[in-house]
Amino acid sequence: MIHDRSYDLNAVTGGTQDAGGVPHSGLLISFAEAVLGEDEEELARARDALSEAISPASLADAAGVVGLFNAIDRVADATGIPLEAEKLEASADFRAALDIDRFDVGARV
Amino acid sequence: MSELYASAPIWIRDDLAAARARAWSRIGRPGTWWDGGQRVAIAAETRHALSCALCRGREAALSPTAIEGKHDSLGVLPESVVEVIHRVRTDPGHLSERWFRSVIAAGLSEEHYIETVSIVAHVVAIDTMARGVGLDLPPLPQPEAGRPSRYRPPGVKPGGAWVPWLEPTDLSENDSGVYTAGRSTANIMKAMSLVPDEVRNFFDLVSHQYLPPLAMRDFSREYRAISHAQIELLAARVSALNQCLY
Repeated sequence: MIHDRSYDLNAVTGGTQDAGGVPHSGLLISFAEAVLGEDEEELARARDALSEAISPASLADAAGVVGLFNAIDRVADATGIPLEAEKLEASADFRAALDIDRFDVGARV
Repeated sequence: MSELYASAPIWIRDDLAAARARAWSRIGRPGTWWDGGQRVAIAAETRHALSCALCRGREAALSPTAIEGKHDSLGVLPESVVEVIHRVRTDPGHLSERWFRSVIAAGLSEEHYIETVSIVAHVVAIDTMARGVGLDLPPLPQPEAGRPSRYRPPGVKPGGAWVPWLEPTDLSENDSGVYTAGRSTANIMKAMSLVPDEVRNFFDLVSHQYLPPLAMRDFSREYRAISHAQIELLAARVSALNQCLY
């Protein structure tokens, strides 16, 4: 929940492209997947669609966020940091709903 | 707009272009544990990892340890450093504490490890964004002469990560500005605090390529061309694709 609004977070794990309540969620998810993927034509389409639907500036900012989290994930995984206690508690319900605790670095062997 | 983005097909915010130029030039400067030439070599190896046959095979395997072999490397850095760079770049979702301990047992210090991870993260952030907007990757910076400072913060101690870290209460005068005043310190900020300059460097980039610390939870206004909700959706989808819980 952000700013007292509710969103459908199934889009986070790819269950749907539509994160209800987030404008242009499908385009944003397609763009993130294309940047991390290897299909250049798909990326070009996703880039153009986002730029046209929102703005060229949104494309730059979206690319920045995708790039930054592609890096932050590596810092987190390479150092084995756990979620903070307050985030663990606050996110328990949607972590369970999305089945993302399987990504916990502490459980890896 | 900085020289890095002089040929950009779209407008890149001035503050973002400047932050990325700062981050890029710092890669070429002497660090805390690696010199400028070694830091640029780590950046080069980070890019090279994407064409490594061993990494490709491991990425496709259920368990990366099931496939043995030697990394295709540029041949400049020791194998233990190449292993860290390639695994962090190509397969972060399978990194484990056992693997980390094996790297340290092979002779890489925890301090060198953290600085290596930070350089890989810088290159990933900058190159991934370049790919996103359709830019050529920037050429690697020229290495600058000089010796690493070899500064180890006196207050580091075991915390929640595989490496020791600095709690905000343990900062010395030399560690000022590492953490943001006025908000709690997230574990992701403490993660690289064994090498404080890398926290400063990386979070300078974070503040411009994502959001400044105090803007992350300020929902009273929007700071970017996309909203907080759109930003967090992108971040969460990327983390899920990378199989990263954090």
